Amino acid sequence: MEPRIGVFLCNCGGALNNIDFEAAAKEVSKLPGVARVEFSSSLCFEEGKQRMVSCIRGDNLDRVVVAACSPNFQEPGFQEVIERAGLNRYLLSMANIREQCSWAHTGDVTAKAVKLVKMAVNKVRLLQPLQTKEVPVSREVLVVGGGFSGVSVAVQLARVGFSVTLLEEGKVLGAGMSELESFYGFDAGQVINGAEMDERIEILTSCPVLEVTGRVGNFTIRISKDGQEIVRKYGAVVVASGYQTKLTSGSEAKSGRGIVSQEEFCRMLGDSGLARQPKTVGFLFDFSDESSRFSTLATLNNALTAKTKWGSEVYVFYRSVKVDSQGTERLYREARDCGVVFVKCEAPPSITAENGRVKVKARDVFAGEDVVLACDVLVGEELYLPAEGTETLSSLLNIRRDSRGFFQDENVHIYPVASERRGIFFVGECRGDLGRPRVLADISSVVAEVHALLSSGKMRVETEKVKADPQKCVACLTCIRVCPHGAIQLVRADGGKEVAGISDAACFACGVCAGICPAKAIAFQGYRDEEILAQIEAI
Amino acid sequence: MSLENKNVLVVGSGVSGLSAALELANAGTDVYLVEKGAVVGGVAASFCCKATDICSRCSVCVVPDKIKQALSHPQIRLFTRSTIKEVSGEVGSFRVKVLRQPQYVDEERCIACGLCAQVCPTEPKAIYPPLAGATPFSYVLDKGGCLRFKGEKCSLCKDSCPTQAIEFDIKPKEQELKVGAIIVATGFDVFDARLKGSLGYGRYPNVLTGLDLERVFSREGYLRLPPSGREPGRIAFIQCVGSRDEGHGYCSQVCCKYAMKLAGLIKYQNPDSQITIFYIDLQSAGKGFAQFYQEYKKMIRFIRGVPVEVSQVVPGELEVKFEDISQGKVCREVFDLVVLSVGISPGKDSWDLARILGINLADDGFFGTKDSLASNETNVDGIFVAGTCQGPKDIPDSVAHGMAAAAKAIQVLAGVASHKTR
Repeated sequence: MEPRIGVFLCNCGGALNNIDFEAAAKEVSKLPGVARVEFSSSLCFEEGKQRMVSCIRGDNLDRVVVAACSPNFQEPGFQEVIERAGLNRYLLSMANIREQCSWAHTGDVTAKAVKLVKMAVNKVRLLQPLQTKEVPVSREVLVVGGGFSGVSVAVQLARVGFSVTLLEEGKVLGAGMSELESFYGFDAGQVINGAEMDERIEILTSCPVLEVTGRVGNFTIRISKDGQEIVRKYGAVVVASGYQTKLTSGSEAKSGRGIVSQEEFCRMLGDSGLARQPKTVGFLFDFSDESSRFSTLATLNNALTAKTKWGSEVYVFYRSVKVDSQGTERLYREARDCGVVFVKCEAPPSITAENGRVKVKARDVFAGEDVVLACDVLVGEELYLPAEGTETLSSLLNIRRDSRGFFQDENVHIYPVASERRGIFFVGECRGDLGRPRVLADISSVVAEVHALLSSGKMRVETEKVKADPQKCVACLTCIRVCPHGAIQLVRADGGKEVAGISDAACFACGVCAGICPAKAIAFQGYRDEEILAQIEAI
Repeated sequence: MSLENKNVLVVGSGVSGLSAALELANAGTDVYLVEKGAVVGGVAASFCCKATDICSRCSVCVVPDKIKQALSHPQIRLFTRSTIKEVSGEVGSFRVKVLRQPQYVDEERCIACGLCAQVCPTEPKAIYPPLAGATPFSYVLDKGGCLRFKGEKCSLCKDSCPTQAIEFDIKPKEQELKVGAIIVATGFDVFDARLKGSLGYGRYPNVLTGLDLERVFSREGYLRLPPSGREPGRIAFIQCVGSRDEGHGYCSQVCCKYAMKLAGLIKYQNPDSQITIFYIDLQSAGKGFAQFYQEYKKMIRFIRGVPVEVSQVVPGELEVKFEDISQGKVCREVFDLVVLSVGISPGKDSWDLARILGINLADDGFFGTKDSLASNETNVDGIFVAGTCQGPKDIPDSVAHGMAAAAKAIQVLAGVASHKTR
C-alpha cells in the first residue's frame, strides 16, 4: 500500500525569510506518497501541534516529515504529537531547514530546503514502526569483592531496598582495610559490622565466581561454595575487586635488606614492641609510575607518622607530588612543616646496601647537587596494580580492561562507574588509582545507577531496533566478536538453525554489528542501507 | 521502595547539579532545579572541545548532553534566575522560599527566531541571543540597555515577537517549595587573576587566563592575538595561579590537565608554535592520562618553577622572569602569549547559602562534609553537597559526585519513608 506522508513546514515565526515556502510547498507536494503539505509559523506551539494532530487524523496520514529547526530542539516533542494522533512515534523524520539551511547561508535557499525535505520524505517512506516493551528485572544485586568499596556499596544498596549478595574470594571481609584505616582515621570494624548486621545482605566468603551468563536484569551466576556449586539470578553485578601494590623491580631485588613496602612500614609504625625504632627513614615515589596518587598518600601519611611518633629523620625522594585529591596538599604542607625533608629529583636515585644500611644517592634539582643518604629503613617505590584475579573476572564477565589491567569504564567521563555491558558496574580501586574522595563518590554513584536501573523491578526497552534476520544469518560469529556490549548470543531460530540473537535490553544501538555483518543480515532501524541510499537518491 | 511524591531541591545547574537532578528524576522523584543565572550548564558550558585528530578526553561534551537530558525530563522543574531566600523544617520536610527574578522573555515561548533583536533600536541591542550552546536557548532582555526600562514607550520587540514571548510588566516572584532533601551544587568561582598583579593580567592584552582561552576556542575555534590578528608562536602557560599558595591550600586538580590539553590543541593547529609550561608538580595521575602525558612531553617544554613576573617590553612581547633550576639562575624569556592557568576558588555566594541552610564551610572556603567517610553529607541531615562547591573537581569527578549526592538523597528519603510506615 502506498504510504500517505504528511509534510509540515515551519518558518519559525517568520525567521526563515530566505526560503520561499509557497514554492517549496508546491515542489514537495509533487513528491510520490506525499498526501498533504501544511505550512505553519509556530509548529512547536500547542496550537501548531494540535493542528498537526487534526491534519494527521483528518487525512489518514501514516508517516510524517517535519521541516523546521534542528531535531535537537523538538524531535521528542513532535514524536509525542504523532503518537497523540495515533501513529507510531518512530514514523517521523525531520528536515533541519533552520540551522543547516536558512541560517547557514545568505540569499535564497529554497532549492536546498526542498532537497532536505525530499531526503526526509524518501527516508520516512521506508521507516518501520518500533515498539517498546517492559521486561522484568531482578532486584537482587551481586557485589564482588569484600574490601572497603564492596562492603560500603552493599550497605548503601541495602539501605535503598535491594537484596545484596556480598561475595569475597578470600576468607574474611576487609582484608586490605587496615592500611587505609590508619590513613583516613575511620573504623574498619564498624564498616564491616554494618554489612554483617544487615539482614538484606548475604555474605559469602571463600566463594569465587565460576560462570556468568544472561543479560542485564537477569544474570545467571554460578558460584563455588564449600566445594559445592550454587546458581543464583541477579539483576546487576557490581565489581569491587580492588588493587594491590608491588615494590618496583629495582626496589624489590633488594628487599629484605632494609627496603620495605608502604604496607610493611605501616605495620612497623603500629607495632609497639618494635625492637629498634629507625633513626633515619627514606621514601621513594613517582619515578616508575607517574600517576601515583596512592603512593603520594601513603608516603605523606607514613612519613608524617614516622616523624611525629618516632622522631625519625625522614627524607622523601620524588619527582612530582600528586596533590590532585582533596586534602593531599594540606597533608603535604603538614609533613613539610613537621620537618619531613622533601628532595625533588628528575631521575630515579641509585640505591645500594652499605654496612647494613641502605644508601640512596640522588640529584636534588633545587640544590643542583647530589644528596647521599644512609637510611635505616627505605620505603621503596611501589606500583599500583589491579588485584590478583582481575583478569579472570574480566573474562568471566566479558568486560574490557585498560592498558594497565584495570577495568575499563564504558566512558571514562560520562559513565565513570558503568562497564560497556549494561548492568555490570565497577567501583573504586579496581578501575584505577583514584584516591579516597573519588572512591567515596564512586560508591554512591554505583548505588544511584543500580537504583535507576532496577528499582521499579522492570525495564522499558525498544524492541528490535537492531535486528538480525535469521534467514540471512550464517552464524559466522563476527557480530558476537565485535559487539562491545555483550548483547549478542547464538540462539536457536525456528527450524533449529543457530543464529545471532540481539538482546534488546543489553543493546546500546551503536550499530557496529550492522556495519560489519558480512551477510548483511543485521538491520539498524533508521540506518538501513536502503534508507541511506534513498536519501542519497533524493539529492 | 517507591519514591513517588518525593521532592528534592537541587541548587545550581552546573555539571554536578544536572547529574544529581537527572539521577533523582530517573529514580522517580520530582526535582526542583534552581539556578541563579539565566541559563543552565554552569562554567563548563563555556569550555571548548580540545580534540585534535583524536579526542583528548576533556569531557566538555558531557555538558550539553546532560543539559539536554535534564531539560527534556518531565520530572525536573527548572527555575532560572532564582535564589534561595529561606529554609526551614528538617529532613523529609524542608520548606524552601525561592525568589525568582523576572525573565521578560518567556523561555517556553521564545523560539529564538531573532526578530526582536532585528527591530531593537538601541546599540548595542538590549535584547540578544544567549551564549552559544546556552540552554534554554531563549533571548535575553537586558534591563540596563532597554529603552522601555529607561521610561520610554518603545515596545518594538514585543510587537515583533511572533509567539508573544515578551512581557515587560513582570515582578519578582516568591514561591515556597516543600522538599524531602536538598542538594547544594553551586559550583566554584574562577580565580581572579588580577589578584596576582605581577603576572600582568588585565594590564597586558596578551596575558590571558585558561578560561579566556577556553572561551576563545569555544567561540572562534582557533587562536589569534588580539591587536595584530597573528597566530602566537611562543606561548607560556603558568600553572598554579590561585592554587597551592597562601590563601589556597589546595590543588585545583584541573589546571595541569587543561593546560596540557589546550597546549596540545594549539600545537596541533600550529605545529611551529613553541609551548612552555611552568609548573611546581605535574598532576599526571588519572585514568588514561599517563599515555597523553608521555605524548605531551615530546612536544611541550616543561620547566619546573613558577614565574614571578610578567612584563611587557614592547607591545606584543611579554618578558617572563623565572628561575631556571637546572642552571641555578634567574632567566628572562620573551613570549607572544602568556596563559595563566587559573584555579578553582570557592563560590562567593557560599557564605550566604551556608548561613541560610545552616551548613558548615571548611577552612578553605568550600562546603564541608560531616567526616572523613562522607563525600556528600553535611552537618545538617538531609542537606548534601555535590561538585566543586565542596572542593575542586574536574568534569567526570563532578558527574560522579553529583550522582553520589543523588544516591545519598535517595537513601535518606527511603529511610524517612520506611520510618513512617513502621
